[in-house]
Amino acid sequence: MATLQVRDVVKRYRTVTAADHVSFSAEAGRILGILGPNGAGKTSTIRMITYITTPDEGEVLFEGTPVGPWSQRRMGYLPEERGLYKKLKVGEQLLLLAELKGLARNEARARIQYWLDRFGATDWFDKKTEELSKGMQQKVQFIATILPEPDLIILDEPFSGLDPINSELLKDIILELKASGCTLLFASHRMEQVEQLCDDICLMAQGRVVVDGPLREVKQRFGKDTVLLEFAGSPAFLDPLVATERVRIINKTQQRAEVRLLNGTLPREVLEAALAGVEDVYRFEVMTPPLAEIFKSLVGKRPEEMARTEDPQPAEATA
Amino acid sequence: MRNIWIILKSEFIRRVRSVWFIVITLLAPVLIIGIAVLPGLLTVMLSGTETKTVVVDDATEVLLPRLQAEAEEQFVFTDRSTVEGDPRAAVRAGQFDGLLELPAELRGGDGQPTYYAAESGGLAFGSQINRIVRDAVQTQRLEDQNVGADVQRIFRERVSVELLTLTDEGAEADGTLVYTLVGYIMGFFIYVAVLIYGSMVMMGVIEEKTSRVVEVMVSSVRPFDLLMGKVLGIGAMGLVQLATWGVLILGGAAVAGSVAAFFIDPSDFDLGADASQEALLEAASITIPSIAPSLIVWFVLFFLGGYLLYASLYAAVGAAVEQQQDAQSFSLPLMMLIIIPIVFIIPIADSPNSTLAVSLSLVPFFSPILMVVRAAVTDVAFWQLALSYVLLMVTFVGAVWVSARIYRVGILMYGKKPSFRDLIRWFQQA
Repeated sequence: MATLQVRDVVKRYRTVTAADHVSFSAEAGRILGILGPNGAGKTSTIRMITYITTPDEGEVLFEGTPVGPWSQRRMGYLPEERGLYKKLKVGEQLLLLAELKGLARNEARARIQYWLDRFGATDWFDKKTEELSKGMQQKVQFIATILPEPDLIILDEPFSGLDPINSELLKDIILELKASGCTLLFASHRMEQVEQLCDDICLMAQGRVVVDGPLREVKQRFGKDTVLLEFAGSPAFLDPLVATERVRIINKTQQRAEVRLLNGTLPREVLEAALAGVEDVYRFEVMTPPLAEIFKSLVGKRPEEMARTEDPQPAEATA
Repeated sequence: MRNIWIILKSEFIRRVRSVWFIVITLLAPVLIIGIAVLPGLLTVMLSGTETKTVVVDDATEVLLPRLQAEAEEQFVFTDRSTVEGDPRAAVRAGQFDGLLELPAELRGGDGQPTYYAAESGGLAFGSQINRIVRDAVQTQRLEDQNVGADVQRIFRERVSVELLTLTDEGAEADGTLVYTLVGYIMGFFIYVAVLIYGSMVMMGVIEEKTSRVVEVMVSSVRPFDLLMGKVLGIGAMGLVQLATWGVLILGGAAVAGSVAAFFIDPSDFDLGADASQEALLEAASITIPSIAPSLIVWFVLFFLGGYLLYASLYAAVGAAVEQQQDAQSFSLPLMMLIIIPIVFIIPIADSPNSTLAVSLSLVPFFSPILMVVRAAVTDVAFWQLALSYVLLMVTFVGAVWVSARIYRVGILMYGKKPSFRDLIRWFQQA
């Protein structure tokens, strides 16, 4: 049975329906990616899972029982909008959050030191939070999330603001937690990041689930209609294909192009055009489209476009 | 409950160890006493040091020696005949502080003495010169009428009325003035404390919201627990501050008593050299007002009740906004509720058992200040104190219930500043 089940959940705010009959489930030992542009309803849904808000309709079950204060203790949540108490020291901050999750002080102390060591922050215990940089605060927040060893970990944009080295470290720890049997929820609007990490995905747009399931299955459902080319020469050979709506460019540089085949175009047509127009071809691959493309096929717009066209709204509505 | 306790502890420790708290707690009594004592001290010091030199143009020819006899250290009277030239010019030139002209008719009962000075002498000076001249003229006129020394002494005497209160123990010195003062100070303290501690709760909530730590917090604790933990934590801090001030003031009063006793010479009051400190102070009519323990208990109880009521409402205001400036339109009504009782302190202290006083001191939003004022000034019936407190507590529970609902929704709201209508919607929505 799935650890977490979100069943037909509806959450309405005055002007918007933030979650419109949302259903999905997450299983232990797997990472579920909740994807969508800003305003898709990710944070609204997560708030109902963490029992910060309650759904207007539907229910959220954790291990088969409706969520409540009891389940809050077993979940770790790193919100996208996160912060720390400025006047507390790092150690006090972590102790406070751990104690609220029901952890004994001595146990919490030992674990705090372990995690500070792992993040190369051994002597931070007595450091003032005010003195930390944004990236450093982010590490403290992540430690606070996983410190009580929750069974369900929810990370909303965990990589934003981290440098590549720390991103790598975070990724390793996420995979470790997954291996130890945790259920992980990973919310992001950056699709390429999710593709690398997630086992399952749940694509959301405007409060609805657009598609969900194991990542591989979702991608295969869309077939292999994307061509990747690496070449020497000008990418101008693509222009006539684009003009006649044979392909659409996903991204292109001077040596590399990723295109989606439209209107029954065959992969070989792209290759032939390339051979005729460039000096040499190094790589030619037919593959499944990236998630952002799948999103576009389903919703009609790329995720970035939706985020941009959306009016700024209060957090209750956009989140 | 456990979570409320954890939050309470964290809030309390965080604030009590701040430099701000330590400085205010230790310095406030010094500052308050300083502000109260300094003006008096300055007056005494300044008036004591300055001596005025006055030229006297005495046409009566008998008053000058009397003036010189009446004048204490602060005046030196010089005869006009010893001054060469125009005495007015001498005053203008700064040779003398002033010129006193006493017309000849003054002795007979007519004419007015005049005092000329180059610059205004100040409030105390006017009444001093007035008194000296008046006494000198009075004595002279009495003597001219051959009035005996006995009668002269009668004229000089100032009779004062001793005010006493009848109690079970007999007649006691009346402390109306002292107790009115005590009531005023206590009421005013509650006013300031509720306002300051309430704003601290509000700013704490705003800080939690703007630093975005609140979302992590409410994923671990119920918003109600977070709200109560914060209110109680800051309340505990307030109690510690209050207790420290209490100890400092009581200690200060004890020290002040010993210091005062040290300067009193027992023989001045026909007491033996081994007279007790109390006896000495009593003889010198220096009384340190005794405050009934029950008054202190009610003071602390009403302070806590008032704080809890207003702080929970301030928390709701904090949850509604993101910046302190935006809080004004919401905190203004609260501020009005706190200020209204201040206006009534004086009339209520004047007639503490009037219908107005009794009814206002039962109104929950006013009772923390007004009931304490009444309790300080007069013996308030126990049922009134108890009823007032029960009403206050019931209102507090209601206020927390309303606040918690607004708070729950408000802490997660960002963006446009909400209107009062929004707050009502949040309340219904929660």
